[in-house]
Amino acid sequence: MDDAAVILDGVSRRAGGVQILHDVTLGFAAGRFNVILGPNGAGKSTLIRIAAGHIARLEHGTVSYWDAPLDTFEADALARRRAVLSQQIEMAFPLAVEDVVMMGRYPHYRGVPSARDREIVREALALVEMTERRHQLYPTLSGGERQKTQLARVLAQVWQEEGTLEQTVLFLDEPTASLDLHFQLQLLATARTFLRRGATIVASLHDLNLAFDFGDRFFVMEGGRLVHQADAPEDMPKELIERVWRVKADPIAAGGRTRWYFRV
Amino acid sequence: MTDRSFTLILIGLLVLALIASMAIGAFLFSPAQMFRFAGERLGWLAPNPAEALDGNVFFVLRLPRVVLCGLTGATLGLSGAVMQGLFRNPIVEPGLAGTSAGAALGAASVFVLGTQYMNFLSPLGTAAVPLMAFAGAFAATMFVWKLSTRFHHTNVFTLLLAGIAVNAMCSAGTGFLSYIARDPQARSIAFWNLGTFTTADWHRTTIVAVVFVACLAPMLRHGKSLNALMLGEENAGYLGIDPEKLIFRLLLINTAMVAAATAMVGVIAFVGLVVPHLLRLMRASDYNFLLPASALLGALLMEVIDVVARVIIAPAELPIGIITALIGAPFFLWILFRQRWGRLDG
Amino acid sequence: MRAASWLGVAAIVFASRAAVADPPPGDRVVCVSKQINEFVYDIGAESHLIARDLTSIYPPQIKKLPDVGYHRALSAEGIVSLRPSVLLTDGNVGPNEVLDRVRAVGIPVVTMEPGDTPDAAQALMLRLGDYFGRAAAATKLVASWKKSMAELARTAKSWPADKQPKVLIVHFGQIANDYLGVAPKGAAGQILEWAGGRNALQATGRMTRLTPEIIAGAAPDIIIATDIGFDRYGSAEKFAAMPGVNLTPAGKNLRIYRIDETEIMYFGPRTPAAVTKIAHWLHGP
Repeated sequence: MDDAAVILDGVSRRAGGVQILHDVTLGFAAGRFNVILGPNGAGKSTLIRIAAGHIARLEHGTVSYWDAPLDTFEADALARRRAVLSQQIEMAFPLAVEDVVMMGRYPHYRGVPSARDREIVREALALVEMTERRHQLYPTLSGGERQKTQLARVLAQVWQEEGTLEQTVLFLDEPTASLDLHFQLQLLATARTFLRRGATIVASLHDLNLAFDFGDRFFVMEGGRLVHQADAPEDMPKELIERVWRVKADPIAAGGRTRWYFRV
Repeated sequence: MTDRSFTLILIGLLVLALIASMAIGAFLFSPAQMFRFAGERLGWLAPNPAEALDGNVFFVLRLPRVVLCGLTGATLGLSGAVMQGLFRNPIVEPGLAGTSAGAALGAASVFVLGTQYMNFLSPLGTAAVPLMAFAGAFAATMFVWKLSTRFHHTNVFTLLLAGIAVNAMCSAGTGFLSYIARDPQARSIAFWNLGTFTTADWHRTTIVAVVFVACLAPMLRHGKSLNALMLGEENAGYLGIDPEKLIFRLLLINTAMVAAATAMVGVIAFVGLVVPHLLRLMRASDYNFLLPASALLGALLMEVIDVVARVIIAPAELPIGIITALIGAPFFLWILFRQRWGRLDG
Repeated sequence: MRAASWLGVAAIVFASRAAVADPPPGDRVVCVSKQINEFVYDIGAESHLIARDLTSIYPPQIKKLPDVGYHRALSAEGIVSLRPSVLLTDGNVGPNEVLDRVRAVGIPVVTMEPGDTPDAAQALMLRLGDYFGRAAAATKLVASWKKSMAELARTAKSWPADKQPKVLIVHFGQIANDYLGVAPKGAAGQILEWAGGRNALQATGRMTRLTPEIIAGAAPDIIIATDIGFDRYGSAEKFAAMPGVNLTPAGKNLRIYRIDETEIMYFGPRTPAAVTKIAHWLHGP
């Protein structure tokens, strides 16, 4: 049984007269690629935001990181341990790529960045293969390049001084939306490499097969409830998939791994 | 070239502009003269009776004007940069968002209605004008902001329209007050709506200086926060910033700064629009650079414009607002067109 | 009657002398009052002047002097750059800070208020005579001025109310570029009264901003317009076509006359001549 990096206990959320989450209890496994799955409106985004600490006061339930309740963390301290990559960000002003990545270091320094901060930014850029474009202006990048830049930023945000990513959480909220296939795969593959340094990843993904290719642990949401947890792609029953996503699902064997073919 | 060397160049140009502004006008002063005047005032040199008048003009008329002009330019440039960061849009500045017009209305109401109708102001003494200017500027800015920002997203067109509406209301109010003014102390419509440094004196300059210095440090510290805000309020929150508190605090400081300057000088528009935009084009959008640079370029630009205003129809003087509008309005249109054609991402 | 008038003048002169002594004029006087400028030329002290304001245009030779702008829109630095020995005003200057700033730089400012009556204006001339060391000329001029005023009082007919035409005197305000109507108070109103006219306006201030409705409502039989305002239209016909004016008896009968503002906006030695001229317009030869 894994250690849980992030635990949600009995979390419910109501907004705009609608119950978005019902009594969700789960633990995201430390050091693993956790994937939240579910159709639109299932509450995936809200789940991520609550887990990331965006919504300050919860009416019901608690969130804790490594057994410490979320509200005991100071804003800066939390920002140094967890980062969120959301869908495409449009920036109103043209900053250079390396300046965007440097924003990830903001919780780590006051005033001026240190040499170590600059080094970390360089390394993050190298990991996402954006080194050559570090002076380019963000608005001139393609969608995939922008997400890679943001990925480098969130990586730089949780990069600890000693070079480790232990005890850090990266939330990826539909990071591959509207990206080319090439960038989708590249982004997720790069994210997986962070696990080697000890990072915990929590991502919400639309594409089931992509999720099964990259994910370690799976959490299925339907109508605001957690309806299934799986420790491996093989633990996803066909009936569940067909019910939740309202499709016909046929398993395909591909190189020893089970993937799915979908029809309406 | 780094951001730092660019900033140093700006400082150098500003120094040159200050010297030019101190030198040029109905009286022409050479740097040698200026040193002599300073020396005489400080007691290092014996006073020269032949230059007594020149020295007096320099210290009583020219110098406070140069200082006030620079402070006002710095205020407006900085304010434009900050407001653009807060609203996340390049077409914002205190003139267009109603802040300046609100400040003018507040200040004008004290001058015209004064102690007669506003007894509650008497205990405030000379602070009454800047305080009422602040109240007016704050009300105007809040109105425009609330109208145009919903769910953390600012609708540009609503912003511009609300700004137009607030500007129209405030300048009508100021105009009306000028029209009915009996008290000779009340300033004219031309003063309020077109701005001028003609009436600069040490009293006014000191007020603006005190407020500016008090507001400058807190503002310059927010380079990182304003950068982070570019990612959107939610993402800025994940970086450890409280966006609501930040926006409110910065708007407050910004309003105070603009109100003080406008109360003493009148409304000067477009500087806050042009300055940050030029800097982004020439150099960078990074707020750690943009904030101090906007203050410097704003001061520099204002000094140059004031020299032109003094000289172009000498011995009469052109109100500053006319020149800034002549430069700023076409610039504003240009920005608008670029946005529409999508070349400037926004 | 005469003695009382002299007494009145003497009292005013005495009172003004009792005030703090004025700094001497010197050779570089900038004077921004058209009334004072006229008097200065009258007493022969014009060699002291180096500059005037925009509206000082009488006598014609004064136009050779440079002007420092409109007297209600002065620039301190502009005035001071002429290095004047004294700035001389009648108190009617703007913006308000200007005089303070000129003083702050070390230039003496002397204000001589002309007052509301011919006596006060004559006292002003005597004061100027003292000030510029031309007392004898001033006294002589005041004496002949008094004589012609007395002559006027004697020969002027007193017209019964129904024979007094309603007259609107239209002045032009250069600050806001608008037309102003002159009220009964003040020099022009008084001159009109002496000429046997009734003021079409009953305002309490000195001037009223005119609108077409006010002009039409006043329904004057005769309009007298000062030079700058009249010249903007160029002729009586064009002036009569102005909205509001075209609805008045004056407009319809083309009884529109032009007069220099220096003739009627303040009291001076030319006042009796102005009264006679206006009386002629009002009542015929």
